[in-house]
Amino acid sequence: MMSKFFAAFLCLSMFAASVPVMAQQPAVKAAPQPVAEVASPQAQAAEQLEAARKNLARLTDQIKNAKDDDGRLAELKVEVDAAAKQIIATSVATRPRLDEIKARLAELGDPPAEGAPPEADVVAQERKRLLAERGEINALTGTAEDLSIQATKLSNGITATRRALFSNALLKHTDINGSIVMDAMAALTLELRASTRTVGSWLTFAWNFKRLQLLSALFLSLCAALVLLAGTRKLFFPLIHRELLSEEPGYITRLSVAFWSTMVPTAAMAVFAATSYFFLQAFKVLRPDIAPLISITLAVCVALLFVSTLSNAVLAPKQSVWRLVRVSDGGARLLALSIFAMAVVNGLDYLAGTVSEVMGSPVVLTVVKSLIATIIIGIILMAMSLIKPIVPAGDTLDGQGKPWPRAVSLLFVFSGIVLILAALSGYVGLARFIATQIVMTGAILVTMYIGMLTGKAVAKQNALADTIVGRYLEKRFGLEQVALDQTGLAAGLGIYVLVVLFFIPLILLQWGFQIADIEAWAYRIFTDINIGSIKISIVGILAGILLFAGGYVVTRWFQRWLDGNVMARSRVDTGVRNSVKTGIGYLGIGLAGLIGISAAGFDLSNLALVAGALSLGVGFGLQNIVSNFVSGLILLVERPFKVGDWVVTGTTEGFVKRISVRATEIETFQRQTIMVPNSLFINASVGNWTHKNKLGRSDIPVTVSYDSAPRQVMDTLLQIAAAHPLVLKNPEPQAVFTAFGEATMTFELRVYLADIVNGNGVRNDLRLAIYERFKDEGLGAPFPKEVLEPEPLPPGPQADALAQQAEAAGPGGVASPAEETFKRSGTQRRPRRVTVDAVGDD
Amino acid sequence: MKTLVSACVLTVAMALPAWSATVTNKDSEAAVLVVVEGESRMEVAISAGGTETICPSGCFITTPSGDRIGLQGDETIEIVNGSAVVK
Repeated sequence: MMSKFFAAFLCLSMFAASVPVMAQQPAVKAAPQPVAEVASPQAQAAEQLEAARKNLARLTDQIKNAKDDDGRLAELKVEVDAAAKQIIATSVATRPRLDEIKARLAELGDPPAEGAPPEADVVAQERKRLLAERGEINALTGTAEDLSIQATKLSNGITATRRALFSNALLKHTDINGSIVMDAMAALTLELRASTRTVGSWLTFAWNFKRLQLLSALFLSLCAALVLLAGTRKLFFPLIHRELLSEEPGYITRLSVAFWSTMVPTAAMAVFAATSYFFLQAFKVLRPDIAPLISITLAVCVALLFVSTLSNAVLAPKQSVWRLVRVSDGGARLLALSIFAMAVVNGLDYLAGTVSEVMGSPVVLTVVKSLIATIIIGIILMAMSLIKPIVPAGDTLDGQGKPWPRAVSLLFVFSGIVLILAALSGYVGLARFIATQIVMTGAILVTMYIGMLTGKAVAKQNALADTIVGRYLEKRFGLEQVALDQTGLAAGLGIYVLVVLFFIPLILLQWGFQIADIEAWAYRIFTDINIGSIKISIVGILAGILLFAGGYVVTRWFQRWLDGNVMARSRVDTGVRNSVKTGIGYLGIGLAGLIGISAAGFDLSNLALVAGALSLGVGFGLQNIVSNFVSGLILLVERPFKVGDWVVTGTTEGFVKRISVRATEIETFQRQTIMVPNSLFINASVGNWTHKNKLGRSDIPVTVSYDSAPRQVMDTLLQIAAAHPLVLKNPEPQAVFTAFGEATMTFELRVYLADIVNGNGVRNDLRLAIYERFKDEGLGAPFPKEVLEPEPLPPGPQADALAQQAEAAGPGGVASPAEETFKRSGTQRRPRRVTVDAVGDD
Repeated sequence: MKTLVSACVLTVAMALPAWSATVTNKDSEAAVLVVVEGESRMEVAISAGGTETICPSGCFITTPSGDRIGLQGDETIEIVNGSAVVK
């Protein structure tokens, strides 16, 4: 999924360059708009159709002239298709006017029948005018129809011509006999003389009159190539350098070195070739007869360098430790040599073919040259079957190898024979095509395969860390293990994308497709993929995703700005702040989603149907989610509690940490986080200790024996309460005589606290003080003499812990054993009741 | 969660635009359209109340009323009283 995304993204950025070209056409069309505003839509359409007709006539001429030029034909086809689209668009533009006319005609009604009273003159005239206009539009559309048919015919004609060109080139048959060879010999001498003269005269001309330009072009392109070479060497040094190692380097290292040491020099050479051709052209050093020669020479050089660096990288004849395939030293040397020889012969064949074309030599010469070249390649192929490169397991690579397996050597012999037979029987074009495929497509496929393997190996877990690059990154940037691993994954995916994007077009070009074809395909893949009757545009979907991401970022930024700058300074209540922030978040994301969906080309009007389907879904499965969501919105508006409040609902009690779409996050006193569905807060009663303010009452029950004087006990309790700094003076603390027991009297000390959250600490302090004062003043223990029967707790660690705690705390702790549990289990049934006991009993 | 995901998928699937011209005949008798698509000129008969999908990549049609209209390929068309209403 991720790799697809990356691929799509890279393609997008690659083809972004071609988009402006296509975008120019509407711009050109839009230019005459202001003038045409005065003209009627029909006149405008007629004008456009006339332009389209001229355009088609021009294209037809050009197609006739270029009927032998495959590349030009491919470009023309793109133009013709665009023209056809333009014609349809023109006639679509007349549709609104036609609709208006039809509506008006319907209003006017049918002309009066025979014998009926005649209608008003105005009406009759208007009808006449409208009908005339309707006829005009229909005639225009008819013209457009004809033009459209013509354009489609033209486009189909181009396809047919190109197909014929291709099969002609491949399956053209020439009788090979002695006289042809003699003719060719004669032509060759002429051609040699002509080419020497041409090249010589050009060189003299260039040296005498364009010396500065020639030298500066060469200098500039050399500079470009050197910069590239030096830059890539510095950047990729660990990737392309083969160290002299005594032991075999790792598989990934060997793979990636093979891949990059092929790619980097080839790319540098390609840049050199392209820039030197460009500069020579730009400085007008090239002449029309020399330009094709220079370009084919440069192209052959690039191809030769590619094939030889690749064979060198895979076979590594001089450094057996870097070899990718297990072949003997001698075998590797011979294989590399024969591959290079084939590439040279093939390249020279193309060079010679271009020379013949430029010099206008007879076709037989080209045929004989290709014949010789393919026969040589065939012989080399057959000779390759005699090489003995196979090394049995366990043997060293420098020993004498074994011959190929029978199947492989048969394959070599067979392809060699096929090449030679095809050439000798007259199908020279086919033989030459096959030879080129064996050398170039083979090399490209091998590079692609190595690239894929490299990508796969680099993307493996922790694979990058073991390589030279990994160690370099670790040393240079101090990357951690995880970061290295992620870098490896990204690098692996990147290599895949690079391989696919770079080599598939190369192979297609090899097979005779033109750049215009590939561009048109790529454009179509990214703008409209038709599946049945549905059209999907990858660019549109990507734009939608980008817009959504942009909207999301803007929303977050706005939220932060509003919260941090505006609301914080205007001292808005935290609850309101939170609500506004969350509300804006939902709104922004919803808007971004809508914008993204419409940008992606989804039709929102179809959503009406979806809403119908969804309402059914809401009825069943989504009921809870929707109810929670709506409850969340109500919570934001009504604000029964805010973040930081101490709330009690159902069995849950704690501090509110976050109010989100579906649920509210509550942290209990034991730091357990509980997600409470928002609908619970709406449907059930919610207690909030800190709603308006944090003021709250805390109660401490005290039991003493009948020996004590109740008034003195109450006075002492009030004194103790008054002495505590956190107990409020107003409302003042109360001491209440609440109950007569069998052997004890029960009092209650009720104190008000400014912040009820401190209740636990204050109660603890007060109990300690009560115990100490009662002991000092001999008021009798502030608790019953007989040990209270504790409420039965469920057996388990908690009950045990409670017992231990009680033991450890001694008599003081028994004052309210339940109070202690309160601290530990805020969510248990018992402690909650205690809280109610301690605070709420009035 | 699964429900939510399937609902989202459903939403997206439903919102995907249908991208070829759909012609619905609202008349009580069959309508014959002349459709010019690519190089060919053909007649398409749509029975009363029937719906037909034509030309995914732009075409011209001639309605029974004799009007010619150009279509981009993403329209919804109704034939009312022999003449086309493009929505």
